[in-house]
Amino acid sequence: METTIKTTPLNQWHRSRGANMANFGGFDMPLWYDTGVKAEHLAVIQSAGIFDTSHMASVLVNGPGALPLLQYCHTRDLSPLANGRCVYGAILDEKGHVIDDAIVYRFQADQYMVCVNAGMGTAVAQHLKSQLAVIQKTDDTHGTVDIRDLSEKLGKVDIQGKNAAKILQPLLDNPKAIFEKMPYFSFKGHFDDNNPLADGVRLKDGTPILLSRSGYTGEFGFEIFIKTDAVVALWESILTAGEPFDVVACGLGARDSLRAGAVLPLSHQDVGPWKFINHPWMFALPLAPDNGSFTKPFLGDKALLDPKDTFYTLPFAGENLRKVGSGPDSQVLDKNGEVLGIVLTCATDMAIGRHDGTILSIASPDLPRGFKARGISCGFIRVDRPLEVGTPLVLREKKRKINVTVVSDVRPHRTARRKITDFLDTKI
Amino acid sequence: MKEINELNLPENLKYSKDHEWVGVEGDVATIGINDYAQDQLGEVVFVEVPEVGDTFDAEDEFGTVESVKAVSELYCPIAGEVVAINEDLEDAPELVNESPYEKGWIMKIKVADASELDNLMDKAAYFEMLKG
Repeated sequence: METTIKTTPLNQWHRSRGANMANFGGFDMPLWYDTGVKAEHLAVIQSAGIFDTSHMASVLVNGPGALPLLQYCHTRDLSPLANGRCVYGAILDEKGHVIDDAIVYRFQADQYMVCVNAGMGTAVAQHLKSQLAVIQKTDDTHGTVDIRDLSEKLGKVDIQGKNAAKILQPLLDNPKAIFEKMPYFSFKGHFDDNNPLADGVRLKDGTPILLSRSGYTGEFGFEIFIKTDAVVALWESILTAGEPFDVVACGLGARDSLRAGAVLPLSHQDVGPWKFINHPWMFALPLAPDNGSFTKPFLGDKALLDPKDTFYTLPFAGENLRKVGSGPDSQVLDKNGEVLGIVLTCATDMAIGRHDGTILSIASPDLPRGFKARGISCGFIRVDRPLEVGTPLVLREKKRKINVTVVSDVRPHRTARRKITDFLDTKI
Repeated sequence: MKEINELNLPENLKYSKDHEWVGVEGDVATIGINDYAQDQLGEVVFVEVPEVGDTFDAEDEFGTVESVKAVSELYCPIAGEVVAINEDLEDAPELVNESPYEKGWIMKIKVADASELDNLMDKAAYFEMLKG
């Protein structure tokens, strides 16, 4: 059986720019452009980069039963989530394994959007529908829910880096009001012209967008959800408006190395068909203050609390830019040579380097004279026991070995969580 | 990514199945990775070179090339002793991308057995191999 590879509205643009293309999640996506993955990575740290993320999928979940359904199917406690806010978490099966990771957006008390990974819209929508059916069998008071998979019906462009707001500003209608009070993981507007929220954010030409202050690089910026037929125009207008800032179109290669340095997981690689616990993203679980129970019941909760078949996922940093391949062929060894587990991700963050043993970024303040960011390998390992930060390890892929250390963080001085006012043009 | 027809494959070099190139002058062979290999790897960020005096048999691993995307082993196309390495690659590994046959050479070896050169491909044969 021949499966056709899917494309995003920007496919022709990528190909006409000579991008190095590859299949990612069933989509023909750019890995890097002529600029080169290193320059693309550095551009996001130094100014801004844009990414075609239209391969990602979104599912609308509406109705009086939407909140209780999502409360049961997503790991975050959504009860305190306010309108215009979003949260990161995971959708688990009954074994506590990850079906996909997902950001839940709350429009209103009975209107949500779940943003998942490439090719996962149908599976996640199906999962939500089947869980709804199970709930409704035992609880006939559960409200109705309308679940709509928007896969390939919605475009998405991410702009990431400290100049993201300055570049978007001339493209937006009333940017001052839009950027006012826009903290990390908040959003405004709607991509559907028929939704009353659509007036919240419009481009100058009237196109409504959902503007979310989030991303996958660890740097300040936005994810923009927009109808598919407006994606190319938005992309090109960002590149034009971004010219004075040297904005760069970035492929999935830079996206991967940026997120690894920011200690963010790649779904189906760093989180996947094993228990979603004992990892760097424990904030994504509704842990009670005692750390031994959860504040809400959800699918997979009992399995997570069962200590059987549990792995430990930890971030690491190498000594220099040298890396090993990601995947089960790359093993984690302790200092005695005992195999502890496997390498989930190993990428090189080219914006960082070591100085006197400390990792510094090209964006770090007061860089010491002579500091050169040569790059440091980093990523995640999955091992069979807990390990302290600072534990030295060896990663081995066939004959190749690199020395790494368990760390709590990798690229310093990231900008994602900083106040938006730090990055606005004061003249607007 | 380049189409096969767009590759720069000089006529005067020999090619290995592992996408290295060999240029022979007297009894010294200069070795690097070819245009196809550098294009497939993407931006090279590190080249691990051997030391002068190291000896290799044909098909021995003699170093690695790391790109942002992947790590790739280098295999010695013919046996010999290393007489020079390209020290410029330490600070400028991107030369392997920018100039694979000139500034991006990796090492020079003293050829142990010149008849091994016959096991390598000329441009036409290598081109046929790529086309499969």
